[in-house]
Amino acid sequence: MEQVKPTRMELMKKKAQIRLAEQGRDLLREKMDALIREFFKILSTVSDSRDELELVSQAADLALLIAQATDDPVALKSAGFATRRSITVDITGKNIMGVSVPVIEKKRVSKTILERGYGVIATSARIDETAERFEAELDLLIKLAETETAMRRLGAEIQMNRRRVNALEQILIPELKSEVKYIKNAIEEREREDLFRLKKVKSILERKKKKGREKKLGIEGRPHMF
Amino acid sequence: MDYGYINARMRGMKSRLLSHRALDDLILKPDLESLIADLENGPYRDDIIEAKGHFSGILCIEYALRQNFIKTFRKILGFARQESEAEQYIRIFLHRWDVQNIKTILRGKNIHITNEEIADCLVPAGELDEATFRELLRQPDVRGVIDLLATWRIRYAEPLTASFPEFAKTRDLAILECALDRFYYADALAGVRAAGYNNTLIRDILSVEIDVVNLRTVLRMVRDHVDPAAARRYLIYGGKEFDEKMLIGFLALPTIGDVVKSLVSTRYRFLADIPESVVRSQKISVIEKELERFLIRKGVGAFRLDPLSIASVIGYFWAKFNEITNIRIISRCKTADFPVEHLKEELVYV
Repeated sequence: MEQVKPTRMELMKKKAQIRLAEQGRDLLREKMDALIREFFKILSTVSDSRDELELVSQAADLALLIAQATDDPVALKSAGFATRRSITVDITGKNIMGVSVPVIEKKRVSKTILERGYGVIATSARIDETAERFEAELDLLIKLAETETAMRRLGAEIQMNRRRVNALEQILIPELKSEVKYIKNAIEEREREDLFRLKKVKSILERKKKKGREKKLGIEGRPHMF
Repeated sequence: MDYGYINARMRGMKSRLLSHRALDDLILKPDLESLIADLENGPYRDDIIEAKGHFSGILCIEYALRQNFIKTFRKILGFARQESEAEQYIRIFLHRWDVQNIKTILRGKNIHITNEEIADCLVPAGELDEATFRELLRQPDVRGVIDLLATWRIRYAEPLTASFPEFAKTRDLAILECALDRFYYADALAGVRAAGYNNTLIRDILSVEIDVVNLRTVLRMVRDHVDPAAARRYLIYGGKEFDEKMLIGFLALPTIGDVVKSLVSTRYRFLADIPESVVRSQKISVIEKELERFLIRKGVGAFRLDPLSIASVIGYFWAKFNEITNIRIISRCKTADFPVEHLKEELVYV
């Protein structure tokens, strides 16, 4: 508090700062509410997608187990060589309340039987079904990657906003208010001192004036020697 | 031609195949280790011991099964060698492993994976030996593999060379694979074109197999709504029940349910017994399983035919192939704690 100058100018400045901080806090609160709304909207999608992914993943594992058991893992791996390809995804971004979240644009991973690359004649429908289920799993994973990243970024932004609001509400604004209080107290104290000083001066002056008057009256009332 | 000796050996070998009861005992084993121990006490003893030196668990069993299959058919080829006709017939069935291995090499070379990775997926049970595959693996690309096959005048060079320009244009490996598969069946049928009991027998089993492969292809194409004109190239001609016209007719049907319905007047009418829900959910693997059961039973049924012919070899081939598939299914399902009732549904008992 010692560094605060207890002047009226400073008081006005601090009051303006409080107003700004409160305005900022309200804006951040509004932003946080909007972010939380978006967050919960995405959360329900993510939770549905996760349940779906679990089911698709179980089905894919079962299909793989049966294909490996019946067709020989060597034949399955060989068919896998024919289908090994990279997946191209385009990642752009969109803005949700100032938070940039990714948007993954991809071609459908799921393929038809002729697009998989292996010959149709000597492979089985079990291999097709395994490929199909893993393609579906991959499709879901990419979709989930987009929503989960968005959710994580929104979550981080909400947390950061909450910290900012807390800092304004519990540290900056109370500090500014206590500074204002200090300045007000200091100014009032100074005013009281000034008043007291003025009264003191006035009383001294009045006393002096009185003394001077008495002195003057004493000289005039004394009898002349001559 | 002394088929008596071959028949005696085949029936002796057949008696050592695992019975229905032995398979049920394997199913009831509590874990993979006890299953391996059980296999080690039977005809797979040497292969399991050898496999244990390289792998453990499920990989050990699968390696042993593959080695056993390769050794068994080398042994059959060894004693059938004295009878050149019998040897030729056996080779017709074993050529499918050559085709599978060449496809694996082409697939690997197409995506430039390491030779070790490709070699791990080869099953040298056919005519081409490991040295040939080693040399093929040394080639830098698909073109190199086909050129080497052509230089060595290996039969599979012919379809590959013919379809290579189309592959070079589209880079679609399925073109080469389709050419190889069609060649395999055409070549096998051409080898048994002449009259005679053995030729008729092999022609019969091959044509049933062609029917099954075609039906499987038709069902997959119909399910994925592939244009019938594009799907035609994946059909093989020479089947027993279905000619080109019938197959093209099937390809034009809108759903797999319609294909199944149109089979009621054929020997594949048993597919109509498949639950409606399976057909509606388009689970072709269930239909495929029934077709495979039919084919295996037909193949193993050859044991009932003339013993002084190639019939016992055909019967043994399918019985051994089925036994190995059954053991693999039991072992794989053991690793995943698959329910016993569902496991039994996946097996084919003959």
